[in-house]
Amino acid sequence: MKVTIDNLSKKFGDVVGVENLTLHIEDGEFVAFLGPSGCGKTTTLLTLAGIYKPTDGVIRFGERIVNTVQPKDRNIGMVFQSYALYPHMTVFQNIAYPLKLKKVSKADQHDRVRQVANVMGIGELLDRRPGQLSGGQQQRVALGRALVKEPDVLLFDEPLSNLDARLRLTMRGEIKHLQKDLGITSIYVTHDQVEAMTMADRIAVMSGGHLQAFDSPDELYDRPKTQFVAGFVGNPPMNFVDVSVQASNGRFFAETESLRLEVQKARGAPPASHDGPVVMGIRPEDIQIASNGLVSGEIFVVEPLGREDLIDVRVGRHSFLLLADTENRHQAGERVSLAFDMEQVQFFDPETEKSLLWQ
Amino acid sequence: MKARDAVFDTLKVKVDERPQSLPQDLAEALRLGAISIIVLLVAAFLFSGVVGPLFALGGVEETVMDVLTRLSLLALPFVAYIGGASVARRYTRSDIARALGLAFSSTVLLFALISAGYYVLDYGVFAPRPSLQMTLSQTEAGIRVEAIVAGGAAETAGLQVGDVITAIRRDAVDLEAFNKRLGQALEGDPLRLRFRRGDEELQETVRVVLVSDKQLGALWPGLSLALAFTAIIVFLPGHWAPYIALVGLLSPLIVGYFWVITATFSFRTEGLVPLDGNDNFGGFTLKNWESIFVGNIAGLEFNIVPIFMTSLAIAAVMTFVVLLVSSMAGYALSRMHFPGRRFFLSFTLILHGFPAITLLIPIFFVLLRLGNIPIIGDLIGFNTIGGIALVMVAFQLPLGVWLMKGFFDNIPWDMERSALIDGASRWRTYWEILLPQIRPGLLALGIFAFIGGWNAYIIPATYSIGSGVSNLPVFLEELIDATAPVDWNQVAAVGLFQLIPIFIFFIFAQEYLLNIYAGGTKGSS
Amino acid sequence: MSEQAKTSDSSVPRGILGSNALKSYLGAYGFMAPAGILVIVFFLIPVAIVLYLSVTNLASSNFTSDLAKMEFVGLKNYQTLLNDQFARKIFFNTIFYVLVTLSIFNVSLALIVSLLTTHIDRNAGFVFRALWILPRITSPVVYILIWKRMTAEAPFGIINQFNEAFGQPTYNYLATNPWVFVVVVNGFIGVSFGMIIFTSAIESIPKDLLNASLVDGSSKLQRIRYVIMPLIRWPLLFVVTYQTLSLLTSFVEIQLLTDGGPGLYRTEVWSLTAYHRALSNYFGNAQWGYGSAFAVLLVMIGVVLAVIYMRVFRFDELIAEPRVEAL
Repeated sequence: MKVTIDNLSKKFGDVVGVENLTLHIEDGEFVAFLGPSGCGKTTTLLTLAGIYKPTDGVIRFGERIVNTVQPKDRNIGMVFQSYALYPHMTVFQNIAYPLKLKKVSKADQHDRVRQVANVMGIGELLDRRPGQLSGGQQQRVALGRALVKEPDVLLFDEPLSNLDARLRLTMRGEIKHLQKDLGITSIYVTHDQVEAMTMADRIAVMSGGHLQAFDSPDELYDRPKTQFVAGFVGNPPMNFVDVSVQASNGRFFAETESLRLEVQKARGAPPASHDGPVVMGIRPEDIQIASNGLVSGEIFVVEPLGREDLIDVRVGRHSFLLLADTENRHQAGERVSLAFDMEQVQFFDPETEKSLLWQ
Repeated sequence: MKARDAVFDTLKVKVDERPQSLPQDLAEALRLGAISIIVLLVAAFLFSGVVGPLFALGGVEETVMDVLTRLSLLALPFVAYIGGASVARRYTRSDIARALGLAFSSTVLLFALISAGYYVLDYGVFAPRPSLQMTLSQTEAGIRVEAIVAGGAAETAGLQVGDVITAIRRDAVDLEAFNKRLGQALEGDPLRLRFRRGDEELQETVRVVLVSDKQLGALWPGLSLALAFTAIIVFLPGHWAPYIALVGLLSPLIVGYFWVITATFSFRTEGLVPLDGNDNFGGFTLKNWESIFVGNIAGLEFNIVPIFMTSLAIAAVMTFVVLLVSSMAGYALSRMHFPGRRFFLSFTLILHGFPAITLLIPIFFVLLRLGNIPIIGDLIGFNTIGGIALVMVAFQLPLGVWLMKGFFDNIPWDMERSALIDGASRWRTYWEILLPQIRPGLLALGIFAFIGGWNAYIIPATYSIGSGVSNLPVFLEELIDATAPVDWNQVAAVGLFQLIPIFIFFIFAQEYLLNIYAGGTKGSS
Repeated sequence: MSEQAKTSDSSVPRGILGSNALKSYLGAYGFMAPAGILVIVFFLIPVAIVLYLSVTNLASSNFTSDLAKMEFVGLKNYQTLLNDQFARKIFFNTIFYVLVTLSIFNVSLALIVSLLTTHIDRNAGFVFRALWILPRITSPVVYILIWKRMTAEAPFGIINQFNEAFGQPTYNYLATNPWVFVVVVNGFIGVSFGMIIFTSAIESIPKDLLNASLVDGSSKLQRIRYVIMPLIRWPLLFVVTYQTLSLLTSFVEIQLLTDGGPGLYRTEVWSLTAYHRALSNYFGNAQWGYGSAFAVLLVMIGVVLAVIYMRVFRFDELIAEPRVEAL
C-alpha cells in the first residue's frame, strides 16, 4: 500500500506539531522517521494512524483519502514504545483482540493467532499475561497483535527503546527481516539513528516539525543536504568548524587562524565562490592521528568505547572528535598530529545551513 | 527513619551539651514553666472573658468555653511542670542525679508559685468549700460531731458537740457519703440532718455555707502528685510521648466502640461494666442477638429480613449506578474532545464542593413529581428504594466523576490508541480495555458508595413513609426512640449488626478508605 | 500535482470532517448523559425549586405538589425570617458551632494527629489514622447511639461512671452541656478529613529539607514550626474551605443527638432549622415556603464557597487536553 502525505500540518492550538510535510512512501517500503524528541515524528505517525486529525493537508493510503477515516477503518497495525499490551488479557486474548473486533469466527481467530504466535516465537506463552513476560517477549506480542489482522500499513513508535542493548540488536534484525518477508509498507519512528540507518530503505529526518531530508541512508550519510542532517546522522557526530575557503592558483584551502587545509577542487570550488565564511564538516572517522599529520593539537579527553577510543583533540580554539585504535593508548595532554581526509569534507552555508555541495 | 533519629539525637546532644551551670538550668526551667503558665492563663482568659461573652451576646447558650477554661486551668500546673522538667530531661542519660534534682526543684518552685496564686485568688485547694462549720468523725453509732464553730451554720441550726448524725433526710449516711453529699452542695442549700442526742431522735435543717479556711496542709496531696508526675516526665522515653498522646486523644472512640461490642453480649451494662440479672459482673448472653432474629425488642415487633434487604438493596443499587455513571462521565472528561468539556469539568468541581444536603426540601418535590410518572414513578419516585438510591447517587456523583477522571488520566494514552487502532469503538475501549485497568479505583469508589448507601439515614428517613422501605439505620433510630435506656443492649446489638460490614471494610480496605475519604483530593495537593 | 491535490482535497474532506466531529461530540455527550441527567434532576432543578418555594407560602395546610398552584407571597418569608426572634439565636448558634468545631477539631486536632502519626513508626501511624476514620464510616445513627450512651445519666452513662469512680458529681450531660457534646461528636467525625490531607502534605515534604534542618541543629518543635508549617499552608486553606461548608450544612448528628434542644433552640443550627421547618415539623405543620427561605441562604453560601473551593483546587492545572482525537 502506497502512503502519500501532501502538505500535512498538525497544530495543537498554537503549538505546531508538524508543518507542511510532503512525503511519498512506496508500496512495501520501510521508512524511518528520524529526529530528536519533539521534532514532530510521533505526531506525524499518530496522524497517519488516525489518532490525530490533520489540521491541513491530505493523507492517502493507496488512492483513498483517509483524512477523516477512523483508525479502525484504516487497516493499520501499530507497535508502541510501551507496547500497550492489555494487562488484564492473556497473550492469546491480546493478539486475538483485533480479530474479535472484526467478528472473525472463533476457530479462525484461534488459527491465525497460533500462526502469528509461531512466527513470532511466542507460541508457548499464549496463556500468560503481559505482566509475566520479559520486555522482549512483550515486544513480540505487540508485534504479533499488529500483524494478526494483516494490515496494509505497519506503524512503529520507537518500539525498541525500552529494550536492553543486546535485545535491541536482535529485534532490529527480526523486524527488518519480517518486514521484507511480508512486504508490508512500514513506517518506523525512532530517535536512534543507528536503528534508522540499519533498518530503513529511506529515512525522513525531521526537526522542529519540518522535514529536513528524505533519502536513503547512504545518501544521508555521504551527501547530507543540510547541516542538521549532517550533524544528526552519524555517531559520533560530525565535527563542524567555521572556515573561509580561499582559491589560489586553482587550489583550494580551508583556513582558520590555526588551520590551513587543502581541499580538492570538486569540494572546494562551491564554498570558495560563497561570500564570506562557511561551515566545514568532517566526520570523526575521516580524521586520523598520524605521525605525518599536517595539524598538531593536544588531546583533551580520551573516552574508551571498547573497540576504539573516542578522542577529543584541541587545535587552537577548535575541538575535533575522532576515533582511534585502542592499541596506541593515548593520554590526555599528549601532543599529536592529525591527518584529515579532505575528500569526505562537507561545506554548509552558515546562514541557511544548507549544503554548498549538494542540492 | 530510625537512622535519621539517631543522627538527630547525636546532633541534639551536641547542641545541648554546651555547659550550663545549675542555676542557669534552673532559671531556664522556671522560665519555661512560667511561659506555660502565662500561655494557659491567657487562653483561659480568652475563653471565659472574650469568646464566651461574645457568643453569649448573640444569645448562644453554650458551656463549651467554660469547659475549655476549666480544662486550661486544670492542665496549667502539669504543663508548667513539663516545661520545667524538659530542661532536666537533657541529663536523664548522662547525670540522673542532676536531672532529678533539677526537675524536683523546678517543680517545687513552680508548685509554690501556683499555690501562691491559688491562695491569693481563692482558687483550687484554697477555693471556698461548702461546709456546715463543724468537725466530724466516724463512730460505730454514726457520725459524731467532735467540734463546732461558734456562730457557724451548725450551731445556728442547733447542733451540739456529741450529737451523732445518722442520715440526711431519709438516706442513711456514713462520713464518706456525708462529705460527698456536702461536696456537691451549693451555697445556701438546706441539708436536713437526722441525728441522735442521747436517746432523742432529732431533725434540724442546716444551710450550707462556703468557707475558705486556706489550710496549708491541703497542699500536701497536690505536691506529692506534682513530684510523682515530674518523676514520670523525667524518665518517660521520648518516643512514647506521641503514642500516649494519640491513645489519649482516641480514648473516647475506643471506649465507645468497646461499649457497643460489650453491650451486645451482656445482659445489661452500667457504663462499661457488663452485669447479669443480679447486678453482678458478668452476664454474658447471646439473647440480644437472638432478639434481632426473633424480631421483638422492648415489645416492638419487627422482621429483620426485609429491613436488611432494603439496606442491602439501597447500597447495592447505589454502588452499581455510581460506578457506572461516574466512570462513564469520568471517561468522557478524561479522554474525549468535545465542546463544553472545560465547563463540565469546572462544574463537576463546583458540585464537589457544593453541599447537596441543602437541597433536601426541593428534592422532595422532585421525587413527588417523578412518582406521578407511570412506571418510572414506581421505580424511582417518592417512597421507593430506587428514588432513595438515586438521590444518594446524585450526591456522590461529583466526587465519583472526579475520582474516575483521575484514574483514567493515569492510564497511558498508548493503551487507548492501541485499542482504537485494533478496531475498537470508544464504548468498547471504555468497557473492555480501560475499565478493567482502573479496578483499584472502581473498588475504592465502590466501597465508598456502598458504605454511604449502607449507612444512609437522613435521605431514607426523609423520603420514605412507614417501614416498607426503611433500612437498618432508620429502623434503629425508631428503636432508639421507642425504647428506654435499659433495653439498650438489644438496641446496641442492632447497631453492631449494622456495623458488621463497615468493620469488615475497615479491616480489609483501610488504605482505600483513607484515600477516598480525603475526597479523592490527595493527588492534587 | 500537489497544488491540484490541495484544492480538490480541501473541499472534499472538510464536509466529512464537520459531520464526523459532530458524531464524535455526540459520542462524548452520550457518555456524559447519565451523569448530566442526574445532575439536572437532583441539583439544577432543585435549586430552581427551592428558590421558587421560598417565595410561596406553601405549608401543610395548603399543600400541593403542583408548582403552578402554589401561592406567591414575594419576599414575605424572608421578612418573617428577619423578624423571627429565634432566627438570630440560630444564626449565632451556627457561627459558634462552625467556628468552634472547625478550629478545635477539624483543623487543630487534625493537624496534631497528623503531626503525631507522621513522627512515629510508619505502620503504627497508619493504624492510628485508620482508627480516626471509624466515626466517618459508622452510620450516624449507630455513632450517636454510642455517644448517647457515653453521656447518659448515672448509672448507665460511661462518662458518669468515670465521674463516680473519681468521686465526682454526675450529670445529665445532654441537658447540662449540650453544646460541648454537639461540638465533640461532630468534631470527632471531622478530624479525619484534615488529618488525611495534612498527612499527605507532610509526607510529601522533601526529605532533604528535613535533613537540612536537622543538620542546622533544629529541635523537633522548631522543625515543625519553620519547615512543616509553612509548607502546609495550601492544604490548610483547602481544609478550612471544605470543612466550613461541611459543618455549615451537616445537621444529621445534631438532629439525632439533641434535635436542636434541650429547651428552645439551644443547639439548633441553620441547616437543621430548614429541615425542621419543612420536613420534620414537631407539630405536624410543615412550612415548606418558610423552610425554603432558610435553605436558600445555605444554598447561596454553598455556591460561593464552592467557587472559592474550585479556585483553591488549582483548577487550571488539572485540565490537560485529551490526546486522542479519533471517535
